[in-house]
Amino acid sequence: MLEQFLIFTRGGLVLWSCLEVGKALKGSPVDALIKTCLLEERAGDSSFQYDAAGAGYTLKWRFHNELGLVFVAVYQRMLHLLYVDELLEKVMREFSILFVPTRTVYHDFDDTYRQLLKAAEANSHFKRVGQHRHIDNPRKGSESQARNAQTGRKSDKSAGKSSGSNDDGADEDGEADGSKFGPVGYSNGTGNGHANGNKANGLGSTKSGRSSASGSSSDEDSVAHKTSSENAFDVSKLAKLRNNKSKKATSGMEGPKGTSKDDAVSKKPQKKNRVWGDAPPPSKLDFTDPVSVDQGDDGVDIAVVEKGLSLMDKDDDDESFRVEDMMVEVEKENGGKKAASKKGWLTSLVQSVAGKPALEYADLEPALKIFKERLMTKNVAADIAEKLCDSVAASLVGKKQGSFTRITTTVQAAMEESLVRILTPKRSVDILRDVHQAKEVGRPYTIVFVGVNGVGKSTNLAKVAYWLQQHDIKVMMAACDTFRSGAVEQLRTHARRLQIPIFERGYEKDPAVVARDAIYEAKRTKQDVVLVDTAGRMQDNEPLMRALSKLINMNDPDLVLFVGEALVGNDGVHQLTQFNQKLADLSSTSSQTQSIDGILLTKFDTIDDKVGAALSMVYTSGAPVMFVGCGQNYTDLKKLNIKSVMKSLLT
Amino acid sequence: MPEVAFESMEGSEQLQSGKVSEQLSIAMPEWLSQQWETLKHDQAALYTTIAVLFVTLLTLFIVTRVTFKRKKSKTVLLVGLNGAGKTALFYQLRDGTTHQGAVTSMEPNADTFILHSETSKKGKVKPVHVVDVPGHPKLRPQLEELLPKSCCLVFVVDALDFMPHVRAAAEYLYELLTNKEVVKRRIPILLTCNKMDKITAHSSNFIKGQLEKELNKLRKSRTSVSAADVSSEISLGVQGEVFNFTQCSNKITIAEVSALTGKVEQVEQFIREYV
Ligand SMILES: Nc1nc2c(ncn2[C@@H]2O[C@H](COP(=O)(O)OP(=O)(O)OP(=O)(O)O)[C@@H](O)[C@H]2O)c(=O)[nH]1
Ligand SMILES: [Mg+2]
Repeated sequence: MLEQFLIFTRGGLVLWSCLEVGKALKGSPVDALIKTCLLEERAGDSSFQYDAAGAGYTLKWRFHNELGLVFVAVYQRMLHLLYVDELLEKVMREFSILFVPTRTVYHDFDDTYRQLLKAAEANSHFKRVGQHRHIDNPRKGSESQARNAQTGRKSDKSAGKSSGSNDDGADEDGEADGSKFGPVGYSNGTGNGHANGNKANGLGSTKSGRSSASGSSSDEDSVAHKTSSENAFDVSKLAKLRNNKSKKATSGMEGPKGTSKDDAVSKKPQKKNRVWGDAPPPSKLDFTDPVSVDQGDDGVDIAVVEKGLSLMDKDDDDESFRVEDMMVEVEKENGGKKAASKKGWLTSLVQSVAGKPALEYADLEPALKIFKERLMTKNVAADIAEKLCDSVAASLVGKKQGSFTRITTTVQAAMEESLVRILTPKRSVDILRDVHQAKEVGRPYTIVFVGVNGVGKSTNLAKVAYWLQQHDIKVMMAACDTFRSGAVEQLRTHARRLQIPIFERGYEKDPAVVARDAIYEAKRTKQDVVLVDTAGRMQDNEPLMRALSKLINMNDPDLVLFVGEALVGNDGVHQLTQFNQKLADLSSTSSQTQSIDGILLTKFDTIDDKVGAALSMVYTSGAPVMFVGCGQNYTDLKKLNIKSVMKSLLT
Repeated sequence: MPEVAFESMEGSEQLQSGKVSEQLSIAMPEWLSQQWETLKHDQAALYTTIAVLFVTLLTLFIVTRVTFKRKKSKTVLLVGLNGAGKTALFYQLRDGTTHQGAVTSMEPNADTFILHSETSKKGKVKPVHVVDVPGHPKLRPQLEELLPKSCCLVFVVDALDFMPHVRAAAEYLYELLTNKEVVKRRIPILLTCNKMDKITAHSSNFIKGQLEKELNKLRKSRTSVSAADVSSEISLGVQGEVFNFTQCSNKITIAEVSALTGKVEQVEQFIREYV
């Protein structure tokens, strides 16, 4: 049985709801759905799971984008209700007929709903009984796939099967519809809608009248053709643009820092001399090598860094990107082709004056494909790009377009919006504020840096230290990388340059204990912040992950920062999820599972405009990017500029 | 035979008509310049034309200025954290009821209406434009675009579930109080403690005190090294003094309401004061 059926506006007003009598939902599944699913750009998913104390719910939803309505069904997860998708579609269709924007009360919908529910239940029962009789033939399978693609919603297999029309079932379908909902009156012929692969059903009411079997199939054909040709075109286009861009970037960058991406790759293996701060003699940059450290100890080249402003505190107004130009170009080509192949100029003229019909998935598909590919060229993980496009599609299908708006423009706007939404943290991140808070209570604020090997944990730890120092905060470093030789010395060098106290206990010690002692020491000497450096570890190294988990559990840090390279694609996302997962799993105290609170992206300066990792990581973990490391100086630590990331992703 | 001749004649006629149109297009400027000449001769006519043109432009300019301005700052914004009761308040103001409740808003609610309590009033009542801005942090960037059009802000606080969210509320308020638009235009703010129908709700005095305390802390952390901080645009309150709301250049008043039961007179009064 359904627990609840809810219809509300995107503004949040509940227009109609049906709560099973005598039942109250545990927790607030609908609010959770909105906050953790719809606003996290996961609207393209097929369902959402919600767990409250003693209850597990599954939620399914549909958007009516033209009217700005959301339909949500909530049911017990244990009951695998098969009719929910069908019911949602039908309710959406019926309700949209009734809907008037100024009206807020729809008690008269109660009866219609009861009928729809009864019919859907009966229907699903019939299908379950009769299922063994219908073996899907391949043609039907592909048909139902096409339909699924059209709605932009991957309904799970069983649902797809149950709502897909089967020849035997069609009669009963039609009959049920005819007799039970006759008085309500569909805008399209019910028999028609059911006979031809439920196209109208899939798309809601907006399109229903026009669909006919032949029309829809040829439609699909032409769409497929179009997308493939556009596809081929687009690849070359993108390559060209990429070339332009990188050319521009190389010439545009200042000084020795300017490395084009290819350079960076070739340079990476042999670590080159870096200059930290304003220290004149070129010393060995990465203080990993104990030998160099010995030299350092002799005081040869350790100069205290001169105070400069950490980039964290600078507002960077990025150069304006040429999104618009690009879009126009792409659009011109697409648009030209489309207009020529699909509609006559007269039709398009009339349409552009009279306003276009509601958007269909097929209309959006080419544009979405372009965006998806563009995102992927920017290093966004493939499945994330896909999910994002699904979500954007879900928010656009059925929307009426303005008279003179192009589809690409519409998609672009929606895409921009959702990218900004993803990258905007869901709660505020203000480390300085938290540090002051901790200071008031008289305890040091602890930040633990975690991550895989060689991503630049210690280096960026030093940058964070420098930034905090700039804000009159007393910082202490804790060398808890007791695993890799040279790690402690490396940190010591940074500490000396920054004139920051460092807590170390050499190697062969349990890092968790070292961290505990460090925090104790910081408290004693009245330090404000302890920055804990940990050993880099692969996420699948069980013993090391266990050690990390112990460190975190024992010391309960205020912030666990995941340090990751900006240049990794899928890999980094996997690392982050694994870290998050492992830390949650291994945490001994079940009271509060602490996992990654934030992300520090390193080597941001080497990736040109391939900023996809930022998006992928934030999307999968939900943790915000708190810092961005962007160079070889202590000052090269920035906040993530959401707007500019969004722009480079779409350029 | 004559048929052929006729055809050829028609052809030549078409040719000619083409020429005629060409001539016409050439003649156009000539005609204009002739007009110009006559105008030049008649100096008085020239001056009147210029004067009339000038006056029309001026009135047009003024009219657009006035209408634009009126439109510009007549919006009442309902802001506050997620779950504070903004949507409930919006519908209470508009319809006198919260209908069947609300869920988390994904988009703003915006409408121009006559306040529900004033619908029975005689005489002309000006409608107000109210926008309920979603409180979810991910949707907050939308506020930037709405602020320039606002004439006053209703900052809704959940007085019932206040303490767990006091920091977040203070951070939101801090952002507003140091926002360029808010400071520059001294946009008045009504601190609206909502859900006062519940007995466990905190008093407005308590909420005011807590918010001031939190804002004071925020101020410290956000401007700790102001000399080096390029990003610190506008500082809050008076430096070196414990913060309280009277230090703000814009007027900040406090109210206790319940969007659920309809006890929202204070909000209505506030809106009427500025619209
Ligand atoms: N007891 C009580 N509950 C209220 C009152 N006002 C709102 N609520 C409840 O508080 C919850 C949240 O209200 P909303 O109006 O959705 O909150 P909102 O500020 O619009 O939240 P967002 O749209 O997420 O920003 C709802 O369940 C309301 O019923 C009130 O005056 N008293
Ligand atoms: Mg709301």
